[in-house]
This record gives sequence, C-alpha cells and structure tokens, in this order.
Amino acid sequence: MKELRFLLAVWKANLQSVMEYRVSFLFQVIGMMLNDFIYFAIWIIFFARFDEVRGWGIADMYITYGVLASAFGLVALLFGNAFMLSDIINQGRLDYYLSLPRPVLLHTVSSRMISSGMGDFSYGFLSYALSGQFSWDGLLRFVLATLLAATIFAAFLILVQSLAFWMGVISNLSNLAVNAIITFGIYPTTLFDNYAKLILFTLIPAAFVGAIPAEFIRAFTWQTLAELLLGAAAFLSIAVAVFRLGLKRYESGSAIQVEV
Amino acid sequence: MKTFKKYWAIFQITLINSLAYPGEIIGRSLLIVPFMWIFYQLWNVTFRASGTEVINGMTLHSTMWYLMMAETIELSRPALARTISDNVKDGSIAYLLNKPYSFLLYQFSNSMGETLFRALMNAIFGGMVVWWLAGPPPAPLGWLFAFVALLGAWILNFCITCLIGLSAFLVEDVAPFLWIYQKFIFILGGFLIPLDFYPAWLQAIAKALPFAAMIYGPSRLLVSPTMELLATVLLMQFTWIAVLGLTLVVAYRRGVAYLAVNGG
Repeated sequence: MKELRFLLAVWKANLQSVMEYRVSFLFQVIGMMLNDFIYFAIWIIFFARFDEVRGWGIADMYITYGVLASAFGLVALLFGNAFMLSDIINQGRLDYYLSLPRPVLLHTVSSRMISSGMGDFSYGFLSYALSGQFSWDGLLRFVLATLLAATIFAAFLILVQSLAFWMGVISNLSNLAVNAIITFGIYPTTLFDNYAKLILFTLIPAAFVGAIPAEFIRAFTWQTLAELLLGAAAFLSIAVAVFRLGLKRYESGSAIQVEV
Repeated sequence: MKTFKKYWAIFQITLINSLAYPGEIIGRSLLIVPFMWIFYQLWNVTFRASGTEVINGMTLHSTMWYLMMAETIELSRPALARTISDNVKDGSIAYLLNKPYSFLLYQFSNSMGETLFRALMNAIFGGMVVWWLAGPPPAPLGWLFAFVALLGAWILNFCITCLIGLSAFLVEDVAPFLWIYQKFIFILGGFLIPLDFYPAWLQAIAKALPFAAMIYGPSRLLVSPTMELLATVLLMQFTWIAVLGLTLVVAYRRGVAYLAVNGG
C-alpha cells in the first residue's frame, strides 16, 4: 500500500512534468495515434488481398494490435525508464536511486513518463472498438489483458536491460529484443511451427503480449487467463531476481548527477 | 574538383569512423535476421494458402529477395533528422554553419558515409537468411540495377529526412514527423508488402510518390531487372529529387535566416 502511494506520487509528478509542454504532449499523442493507424493499414491491405492466414482474419489483427499497442503504451507511460535501464546502469545513474529509501527498481523504472505512450495506449482501445467484436464484457477483458501484457512486457524489458550489469553496453541487444517482441507480437502464432512457438513463449515472450491476450479478449477461458497470470508472475519474478542479482555487481560512477 | 574533394574527404572520414566499430554495426545489422525469418513464415503460409506459385507476378522466392532489399534500404538509413534537429535545438548548428563548406552537402557526405557499410552488412546478413530459406540470389544484373536505383533512393531519403530535421526551426519535437514518414515508407513504399499485391488504385497512387521510388523501385529491380522498369524508376527518382531538393534548399535558407543562437 505504501509503495502504491509512492508510485501514484511519482506518476503524478511525471504527468505534471510532461504536461508542462502541453502542445508538445498533444503533438506526440496525436502523432503516435496517427502513426499506429498508418502502420495498421498494412494489415488492412494484406487481408483485403488474402482473406485469412491459417484462421486469422482482420478482426483478430485489430484485437491483437490493439492489446499490444495499449500494453506498450502503458509501459511507456508508467515505467518509461524500463526502456533506458541499461543506459542508467552503464552511466552510473543508479546512484541517485540507491541513495533514497525506496525500492530501487520500482523507483528507477517509474521515474520517466514517455508522452507518446498515451497515443499508443489510447489507440489500442480504438483498435479494439473497430474490431467489430466489441462488447462490454470484452472491454473488461481488454483492460485486464492489457494490464497483464504490460506486466510481461515491462518484465521482459527489465530482464533484457539488466544484462547490462554483466555485459556493459547492450544497446544493440536491447534494441533487437524490443523490436523482436513487438514485431513477433503482432503476427498470429498460427504462422509458426512448434520450435518457433517455444521461443515465442519463453525467450522472446511475444505470444504473451499479442496472441494470448487477444485470444482471452475474444472469449473468456480459464486456461488463457491462467496462462497470462502465470506468464506475468513468472516473468516479473525472474526480472526482479535478475535485477537484484545484477545490482550486487553494480559499480558507482561517483559522478555528480541530477535526475530530472 | 576541389569542392568535390572536400566532401569526398568528409564521406571517407565518416566511412572510416563507422568501420572503427565493426561490432556495433554487425550487432545492429543482426536485426534483419528475425525480420526476414518472420516474413518467410508469413509469405510461405500465404503462398501455400493461395494454392498458386505466382501471385501478381511474384513468387515466394522473388518476394523474399524483394523484402530483403527493402529491409536493407530501410534499416541502413542514418538518424539524420534527429541529428539535425538536435543541432538546431541545442544551437550547435552554429559550429557547422561557420565552416568553409555547405551545411547540406556536409550532411549528405556524412550520412552517405554512415549508410554504405551499414547497407552492405544488412544485405549480407539478410541475403544469407533469405538464401537459406527461399533459395539462391537473383541474377547479377538485378544487383547492378538495384544498386543504381539505390543511389537515387539514398538521395531522396536525405532530402526528406533533412527537411524533417530542419522543421525543428518551427516545431519543438520532430519525432512525430519521423514516425509518420517511416509509416509512409512502410505502406506507400512497399516495405512490408510488395506494391504488386495492392489494389490497382492504391498501386497507382503509391507508385507516383517518392516513397515507392525509394523502396519499391530498387527492390523490384533486384528481382525483375528490365530496362523499362529501370527507366521508370530513375525518371521518378530524378523528378522527386528535383522537387524535394529545391524545397530543401529553400527551407534551409529560410530556416537559417530565422536562426538565433544565444551564448557560446
């Protein structure tokens, strides 16, 4: 409860910070929504030419793309530093967070709000509304699936970026990992053979941020809910454990820094 | 000749700089591997589901090599717009403006130096994956025609990204322009789906725009190297380079006239 109050205070401060430049904030939000729509138009063109791909049609893509966009946007909004954790580690900027009486990982990742995340987050809901499969109970499932997918996505980011404790500069690897989870997340799992599916459920958990949440939104089953809950719990536990393990190897930069 | 030497030297310096960190470039180029693999999965299933080996003149083999070239062009683009926008915003553009060279030609030489080795590495990694998945590369003539068109594509990309970077004179953040430019390349350039698979009306629109001359043109020439296509692609490139190049020069002159740098 104490941590939740702390998080709310950090998010409030972040929001006030980005709202300082309202025009820029709105420009980024609208720009990102437009960007998402144009990107999705690729699938509209594809499914207009080829009706379906192993049982997946345009309605499925609207939902998959929607939940992925909302989950990505939510992480960018609430835990923006998860995208930059490896830089923070390498530049010795964890010093600031280590010196304060709050959980280091939570404080670090929540200390930045990426404005464009609001565009992704909002576009996801719009995409679901346009899917032709909208229902009120479906919307509740969409919200729950977005929260769980965002947890898995944030955990994956923390896990990959924490490798900087051992490997130093990993901008290429983290870039590759983030691009891979987003790219694979949009594609239907029916495209892949069993080996590829194994990768998409473990090494790059793209199925947990795209196809499985979409399946859960379309129709409630205890199995998909359990898969999502277990996936979120497992990836979050591993990410936190790896970060804590890496933190023992952290060496301070002893630089004087101001975190804005 | 002396002027050309100056920019050739800038190009060489940037190229050598990029060669100084081969691990960085190789690491970045690996991104093309998962992309090509996932494209193969998608198009393999799509061609099988269609029950035909040729769709709108493209086979699975030619589609994959087309996509390899499209990915190579897109993934090799340097972050020029961000660099220029940062130069404008933090005032460091002042240090470039008072040097004895043209700011635009300096940026062009610089960006070409960054692009060349990156494109080569992307083509090697992408080519290896596609060769393994879909079969041997197209005939040498295709590579030659594609390379000729690639030069025009790089100049076009320079004009557009430079214009976006210079828009920092007017707006605080150029990122949304970059996102939208990238998505136009994705859709109207035929980056994710060859334009041949589009409905006829959309093909006509897309092929008249510069994005197709940047992605679709060189990629299609790789798999279908005909003189007719080469002439069409080059004509489109020349036309758009003239239009966008002129716009860029005007925008640059007006932007510099507005420039106010405080402090030092």
